[in-house]
Amino acid sequence: MKKRTLLSMAMVATMAFATFTGCGGSREGAATTDTAAETTEEAATTETTAEESFPGFEDGATIGVSLPWLGTQNWKEAEEMFTAQLEEAGYKPIVQAADQKVTQQQQQIESMIENGAKVIVVGPVDGSQLGAVLEQAKEAGVYVIGYDRLLENTSGVDGVVQFGSVKTGELQAQALLQGLEEKKGEPPYNIELFGGGPADPNAPNFFTGAMSVLQPKIDDGTLVVVSGQTDFTQCATVDWDNAKAQSRMDSLLAGNYSDKEIDGVLSPNDGIARAIITSCENAGQEIPVVSGLDAENESVEWVWSGRQYSTVAKPTNDLVAKTIEIIDSLKAGNGMPATDVEVDNGVKNVRIYELPPVVVTKDNAKEVFANDPSRLELLK
Amino acid sequence: MKYIKQVLGGDLRQYTMVVALGLLILIFNVISDGRMLTSSNFQNLLSGNAYVLVLALGMLMVIVIGQIDLSVGSVAGFAGMVMALVAKNYNVPWWVAVLIALAIGILAGAWHGFFLSQLGIPGFITTLGGMMIFRGGVIWISRSISVPAPEELKWFGAGYLPEWGPSFTGMNNSTLVLGLIGIVCFAVGQIRKYNRSKNSPVGETPLWAVVTRIALMTVLIGYFTYLFGSGRVGTSFPVPGLILLLLTIIYHIITQRTKFGRHVYAVGGNKAAAALSGVNVKRTYFLTMMNMSFLAAVAGILFVGRSTAAGPADGTSWEMDAIASVFIGGAAVSGGVGTILATIVGGMVMAVLNNGLMLMGVGADKTQVIKGFVLLAAVAFDVYNKKNGKSSIIGRIFSK
Repeated sequence: MKKRTLLSMAMVATMAFATFTGCGGSREGAATTDTAAETTEEAATTETTAEESFPGFEDGATIGVSLPWLGTQNWKEAEEMFTAQLEEAGYKPIVQAADQKVTQQQQQIESMIENGAKVIVVGPVDGSQLGAVLEQAKEAGVYVIGYDRLLENTSGVDGVVQFGSVKTGELQAQALLQGLEEKKGEPPYNIELFGGGPADPNAPNFFTGAMSVLQPKIDDGTLVVVSGQTDFTQCATVDWDNAKAQSRMDSLLAGNYSDKEIDGVLSPNDGIARAIITSCENAGQEIPVVSGLDAENESVEWVWSGRQYSTVAKPTNDLVAKTIEIIDSLKAGNGMPATDVEVDNGVKNVRIYELPPVVVTKDNAKEVFANDPSRLELLK
Repeated sequence: MKYIKQVLGGDLRQYTMVVALGLLILIFNVISDGRMLTSSNFQNLLSGNAYVLVLALGMLMVIVIGQIDLSVGSVAGFAGMVMALVAKNYNVPWWVAVLIALAIGILAGAWHGFFLSQLGIPGFITTLGGMMIFRGGVIWISRSISVPAPEELKWFGAGYLPEWGPSFTGMNNSTLVLGLIGIVCFAVGQIRKYNRSKNSPVGETPLWAVVTRIALMTVLIGYFTYLFGSGRVGTSFPVPGLILLLLTIIYHIITQRTKFGRHVYAVGGNKAAAALSGVNVKRTYFLTMMNMSFLAAVAGILFVGRSTAAGPADGTSWEMDAIASVFIGGAAVSGGVGTILATIVGGMVMAVLNNGLMLMGVGADKTQVIKGFVLLAAVAFDVYNKKNGKSSIIGRIFSK
């Protein structure tokens, strides 16, 4: 025991000494500073002219993918698809998930930079809390692509791939209206509104999109929000936590619906939709028309059996494919592809690559999932 | 064997954890093809973990007095959020916002301290309440939405020291100066100790041992100075690391050299005996808890600086990381034992494990499992040795 400790101590000392003496000072003082200044200038011009030469990279380059967590199906799918498809495309993927912890994600991104990643794809836990780390990536010459959620409050982002989030909200609201007409007879309809996790920049956008469709109907009396809670902060579900949504629905029902029927609920995603439906069943209500998002397996089954009226599919495959298409363009030295949509993230205008989401109801489920054998399997 | 003992000035086993840390770094460095021991990685390691280590400094003292503080994450989140909100909504200069955040920390600590010392409610319960109060508070005042922080704060959480002076040194000169100060301080300290040992009844430490000790430390500090200083131009020893370093020195002195520090150990070791020998137990409790929340506010500020925004979930489960660092550093669950420097080593072990496993691409799930085993192993090892009549191995690192 003692001898081993002694030996290891000696090792530490010698190795530390060797490393220390082995490295000659190599900071190219003034010269390096000049290049640094040039690069900053270049970066400045890039932003103004937008057309610039982008350094490509070689085959087999390391690509980092940092996902927020693996707790819902779409993120788990993203993890598997990124790993498989990046490998297939000849890259060396590092795919990690941050367990919903901002600090962990910051450290993961840093270790990806450390590992020499050429591109880092980031699905942020909180889109506004990665500022310093992403700027560090930018300084290290790494391209940063936001995945599914906007990266705010930082200059270190080159583009964001996502499904149009305001559009998604509009689709959810339209599906809700359609369902109410189909299933709940004549207006007025009693409804309640749910929003997503406030830390996710998409969540307010979903809500805004949905309200752009619903507000006129609320104003003309077609829809009645019985609880009166129509503000995003009142309706938000912290962390997209299904349990929190269920307890909010429980108290809404207990407080407002003892003598009324609930006809419809705007739900921002499938997990929350199922929580809402469960809550209504527990309260002895007839199942209301509920919207959803993500086309999770369980909800696809529920839509097929009629418990959940609709969901919106944002095929993860499309999103991953689009991201890899951008990575290919970067690799070839063509820079970020052109796009029409730009969004101000608080620091700069970021290019947004928007993909169209698809509403799924019982009527069109078979068509939508025609190319998705695993989900088609559920429609039986 | 005897010579090495003389160089290290005590029982070799005291250094187990330091050696483990060194080995861990070297092993990860080999496995990751040298990506561990790089300037940028070590800069990240410090910037990314400074907040946990700052919390651990306060937590050590709380654990030494035989209490625990579960509220630190929530207090850190709350202070950070208040700071961001004040700066955004009331248009005050950033430093005013920082002072307000620190004041909030002190008030929160006084609140906990009051319940513990005056009403005698156990720290576990007091701070469990605090954990809920302040977590709820963060969500309440932020309405669950992240708030961007003043630009200047980035310097505290992710900033670097300035570049200046001649470039022939090949490094960041601020870092170089810092390293030189470190070496000089260590050497002066050792020489003074040597002079004192001439009159000590234990006998004089041999001069060659002192010289070797200084030489070894010079190599070590020199190496890290080089590591931190020779990164990309514009980088240096990171600012959050410097804040941590200053706090570590301050708290080392407070715990080892001041009356208050001795009271902390006395109260933790044997409360009744301490009270009988004239230690103001209530005051010690109160100040320790207040200090903890103050440091929590500091941690919150560092974190917000690094994240460029304060979020509603900031600080969730930070207390657990801090507590783990303290126990890996050899503090006793029953109180009375533990040192600041050992806690920092314990925290670094966790940080290096985290960082090394990430560099290797190990997932968050497995990392968590490994960290759990390390915590258990470190504490079990410590307890086992104590049971066998040996003095606490890790706990007394560097003490005296």
